[in-house]
Amino acid sequence: MAVMMKNGLKTQTEPFPETDKEFAAILGELRQLDPEDLKGKMVIGGFIDQPYGPDQQRCLECMYYLVHRQWCDLPELSVPVDPNWWCRLWRI
Amino acid sequence: MANLLWLQGGACSGNTMSFLNAEEPSACDLVTDFGINILWHPSLGLELGENLQKMLKALTSGALPLDIFVFEGTVVNAPNGTGEWNRFAGRPMRDWVTDLCKVANFVVAIGDCATWGGIPATAPNPSDSQGLQFLKRSHGGYLGKDFKSKAGLPVINVPGCPAHPDWITQIVVAVATGRGGDLALDEFQRPKTFFTSFTQTGCTRNMHFAYKVSATEFGQRKGCLFYDLGCRGPMTHSPCNRILWNRQSSKTRAGMPCLGCTEPEFPFFDLAPGTVFKTQTVMGVPKDMPAGVDKTGYIKLTAAAKAASPRWAEQDIFVV
Repeated sequence: MAVMMKNGLKTQTEPFPETDKEFAAILGELRQLDPEDLKGKMVIGGFIDQPYGPDQQRCLECMYYLVHRQWCDLPELSVPVDPNWWCRLWRI
Repeated sequence: MANLLWLQGGACSGNTMSFLNAEEPSACDLVTDFGINILWHPSLGLELGENLQKMLKALTSGALPLDIFVFEGTVVNAPNGTGEWNRFAGRPMRDWVTDLCKVANFVVAIGDCATWGGIPATAPNPSDSQGLQFLKRSHGGYLGKDFKSKAGLPVINVPGCPAHPDWITQIVVAVATGRGGDLALDEFQRPKTFFTSFTQTGCTRNMHFAYKVSATEFGQRKGCLFYDLGCRGPMTHSPCNRILWNRQSSKTRAGMPCLGCTEPEFPFFDLAPGTVFKTQTVMGVPKDMPAGVDKTGYIKLTAAAKAASPRWAEQDIFVV
């Protein structure tokens, strides 16, 4: 994942899901993917390899982030992540 | 001997079912040990038809003393303020409520519907329902905000959907044994002894709340239900994790998010699609914070808690 982002993978960081309906719509898109489709998850999830926005949001504070496993526990993603990354499914 | 009358307005009988399951004390204990004379109850009362009307008239006239009037369900005002949609013993139930509240020493509202309208009063409230002394958060309700029973207390509100069996019987016993005046009530007229602490108080998931580990699916024993699954335990006043249900468990212990059923706004967000069992957020931050916590503090706390989170917090420690 880090290599893909370093090589300039374009992901859908926007629009940020401002409502739960929009959030659920993104989850719905993710569920359509093959669970092994890492690139698809990154694109739809809007992954970037740095903190995001004026609040410097990052995986480290996200409720789905498991610190010791460095893992995103959101069932629709279930991918290894770095604490300083971010995606648009970020929730605190 | 204290005379108790229990009537139902716009109700599902859930609080009656709860009452009949009480253990400490039980419904039978009320009669045998605490001298409560249950004059009539929708599921226990023997009188029917004219005999029941005769009893109710004796109560409203003062010929038969009424010590405790327990009301379950909403006061139904439809159609057009007549209450005709909920008739009982020959007249609208709301008229009985009016007359009985005038003569009762104590009035006890059991369950959300009787306290603040509950589900029937949720928009668009087709039955024009009210609680006895509240409509949702608005003070007043059917009896008006200045109502006081003969003993000088406002309606004693025991909310819940349903109320826990022992909250019901313990309050009834307190009133029947002359300790009603000792009851301290909060701003929503709930007994403080039950409704000062939070549902979260005593929750087995508190460690996961502290370290910001979320449950992401129902039935997971790992993780806190607040972050994603809409649990209202941190901002709901109830002793559900102190006085356990069936002496065994609670919603949150069993993996079911607290729905906040002891608060006036229940059911929250008027049950709009997508609002049940889903934590409502604005730009990823919960709309409703744990009581007393602001957004800035919450974000700082999250960063610190995640940074300090131990390895075991990510594991299912309940597996043997």
